[in-house]
Amino acid sequence: MENALAMSNITKTFGGVPVLIDVDFTVGKGEIHALIGENGAGKSTLMNILGGVIPRDKGEIELFGEKVEFHTPAEALAKGIAFVHQELNVVNDLTVYENLFLGHELKGKFGKLNKAEMIRRTVEIFERIDVEVDPTVMVRDLQATYKQIIEIAKSVLFNAKLVIMDEPTTSLTQHEVENVFRVMKNLTEQHGVTIIFISHKLKEVVEFCDTFTVLRNGEVIGTQATKTPEGRPVDQADIARMMVGRDVINVEVYKERKEGDILLSVKDLHVPGHVNEISFDLHRGEILGITGLLGDGKEELARAIFGDIRYTSGTMELRGKRINPKQPAAARKFGIGMLPANRKENAIIKDLTVAGNMTIVTLPDYRRGPTLIKSKEYETATLYKERLNIKVQDLHNLIGSLSGGNQQKVVLAKWLIAKPDVMLLCNPTQGVDVGAKNEIYNIVMELAGLGMGIIVTTGEAAEAARICDRLLVMYHGNLQGELDRNNFSEESIMILSTGGHLN
Amino acid sequence: MGTTSSAARTPSAFSRFAHEYMIVLITIGVFVCATIACTIKFGEPTHFLNIQNMVNILRASSVMGIIALGMAFVIISGNIDLSVGAQMVFVGIASFNVINGLEPSIGPYAAIAVGIVVAMVMSVALSMFCGFIVTKGVVPSFIITLGLSYIYRSLSIFELQSGGINISTKVFQKISNTNLGIVPMPVIYFFIVFAVYLYISRYTVLGRRIFAVGSNAQATRLSGINTDMIKIQAFALLGLTVAIAAVVEGSRMNSMNSSSSGLGYDLNTIAMAVVGGIAMEGGKGNFVNVLFGIIILGMINNVLTIMGMDVYLVNAVKGGIIIAAVLLLRSRGKLN
Repeated sequence: MENALAMSNITKTFGGVPVLIDVDFTVGKGEIHALIGENGAGKSTLMNILGGVIPRDKGEIELFGEKVEFHTPAEALAKGIAFVHQELNVVNDLTVYENLFLGHELKGKFGKLNKAEMIRRTVEIFERIDVEVDPTVMVRDLQATYKQIIEIAKSVLFNAKLVIMDEPTTSLTQHEVENVFRVMKNLTEQHGVTIIFISHKLKEVVEFCDTFTVLRNGEVIGTQATKTPEGRPVDQADIARMMVGRDVINVEVYKERKEGDILLSVKDLHVPGHVNEISFDLHRGEILGITGLLGDGKEELARAIFGDIRYTSGTMELRGKRINPKQPAAARKFGIGMLPANRKENAIIKDLTVAGNMTIVTLPDYRRGPTLIKSKEYETATLYKERLNIKVQDLHNLIGSLSGGNQQKVVLAKWLIAKPDVMLLCNPTQGVDVGAKNEIYNIVMELAGLGMGIIVTTGEAAEAARICDRLLVMYHGNLQGELDRNNFSEESIMILSTGGHLN
Repeated sequence: MGTTSSAARTPSAFSRFAHEYMIVLITIGVFVCATIACTIKFGEPTHFLNIQNMVNILRASSVMGIIALGMAFVIISGNIDLSVGAQMVFVGIASFNVINGLEPSIGPYAAIAVGIVVAMVMSVALSMFCGFIVTKGVVPSFIITLGLSYIYRSLSIFELQSGGINISTKVFQKISNTNLGIVPMPVIYFFIVFAVYLYISRYTVLGRRIFAVGSNAQATRLSGINTDMIKIQAFALLGLTVAIAAVVEGSRMNSMNSSSSGLGYDLNTIAMAVVGGIAMEGGKGNFVNVLFGIIILGMINNVLTIMGMDVYLVNAVKGGIIIAAVLLLRSRGKLN
């Protein structure tokens, strides 16, 4: 097969620390090539070098057989390399076509916008990738999946020959992921586009990609087809082992526990438009999963319990006593904690240090009189840093300097210090790499073992299967079904979450 | 990714020094420029460079400086207050009316004590009310405080029919018009407020949470913290400084004028905080740097007056220097 891209002997050092060591990375024309590795393995650095964002120390880049040298992203784009970023760069208050042409608007006389032509070309582009979207609708009103597709459509607009996608599916559910991949397949098969796909989700890699390359600590561990010669998908556990250097996926994290009394009892909880009269009990020491497709109400259910949004009817009892938290501060006083979804917006206080983020919930505990005793604060932070194995040189560093997995552990730590009875974990391993995932699962197990009641909302069936005792599946705000640990299967979860029933 | 940012986090020793102490460098720069300018103009620097003038700079900056310390908390919490000048006059007039009214019956000292308490309670209550509307109404503080400033100013002018109010007892003047050694009392008051607010910003739960709210209100709320209450308390800290400023200013002038007192205090105090490195987007800042911001603006005002610059031009120069100072601080931010 002809090569779309051949990077050879790429070496990069940051402040004396080697980040990429003699990396050879070759991508065949028209394939979807996954680039995987843990946080810090060098994926983004490699792609930034390709895109002209940062210079390399050594090595050569060939694009479609031609030696290239990019100094700016614009030069790379001119040669047909487009970036689709993890964070959606769409503007909610503009329409679909306005977003598509943002910065490259078609203009007529006197700089007047040629709207008709832009709309026509938008329709054309979406037809080419076989997606139906009204070009004049506000992006705000679209589902997340379409926002991602607009980003992909931009690369079609620029006639990109090589598209680099940096974790485009992080915030999407199974069904939506399939949508995005359908568009990607269409691009490669119908239009000869080559795609480099950066991801943490191994399931997507083996299902949808043709080839994968694993980076670990700045070195290429291997490049392989995702299907064996017999046409069977490569075992995800093998890929994970290549990434981390040891077995992670098959490691059993689940531990049998004795369940205690009913801790939290939710009856007919109703949040208009999101949660439709849902009832369930949570026991001490239980890990209860809640799943469903994006927008089917699992986040809202957790947020209503935490007082972040108000429920209009229904009741909650905690330890047999009726509670009605009107805001998160009230829920916290009752002994409920929540690790919210979307860490960056909802959990990270970027101007505080790592220690400051860890102690924000329990700050009054470190006082003597009115005065904060920083040594006391630091002592607690150090204790939890060790307990959760948070990798940080200095607890006085700003939280932004940590990797996703370590940031998530800090957010978890701030609640563990507060010792809540009920802990709500929304997408707890969002944007966390495979190694850190297991550590988080182990922490969750340990907490349940100590008698905490834990609710995990997750879009990943595999995650639910690894840690939950029981799983509630929601569909359009309703409780569609309940599965015991013995009956977990991706199939039954999919049936329930798409509105079906189990016999 | 961590790897790319780590390169940016290893700047040279000088840029790291400049990063830490940029505000000090700017202060020294303004000081040196002022000295040189005076030397060129008068042939010798002592018009600017003498102890008494340094004391004058501090005294002239003290009233607005006190308010700037409160303003810093409000800006850090993610809000702004454009009503502090009008609120100072409004609160001052009420307080002085109380003092004038009570003095014949309970004597000057008791009357002044009651008057000061009235100023503080009233000012803190007004600011908290303002914070309440801003948080519960989910409206920008810019708009609310702009409206409030019109209300306070108008009510003050109406009450005094655009005139001023004098305080009948001579005792009241002593609050601001006495010295401790060569240091005027307003400077002492300023440093007391500075010490207390520095302490609050660094060593209290409230201080830390004001920074947290300004940095990411949603994440702070989801940490089980009543963020509305934090913002309202930040306003209360500003209200307290406005009351202190009203008393110090009223005593120094022995009067409060409904139409001319406190004019321009809003933007001047915001400028002091911002030149002192308080970020308008909230969540960032350091009170020691605010002290430098206050001194920088004080020196600029002082030297332009000494040089006899045309009153009508003073603000143009001041504006230019403010912009230059903030740009320098920004370049420091980029380094980070």
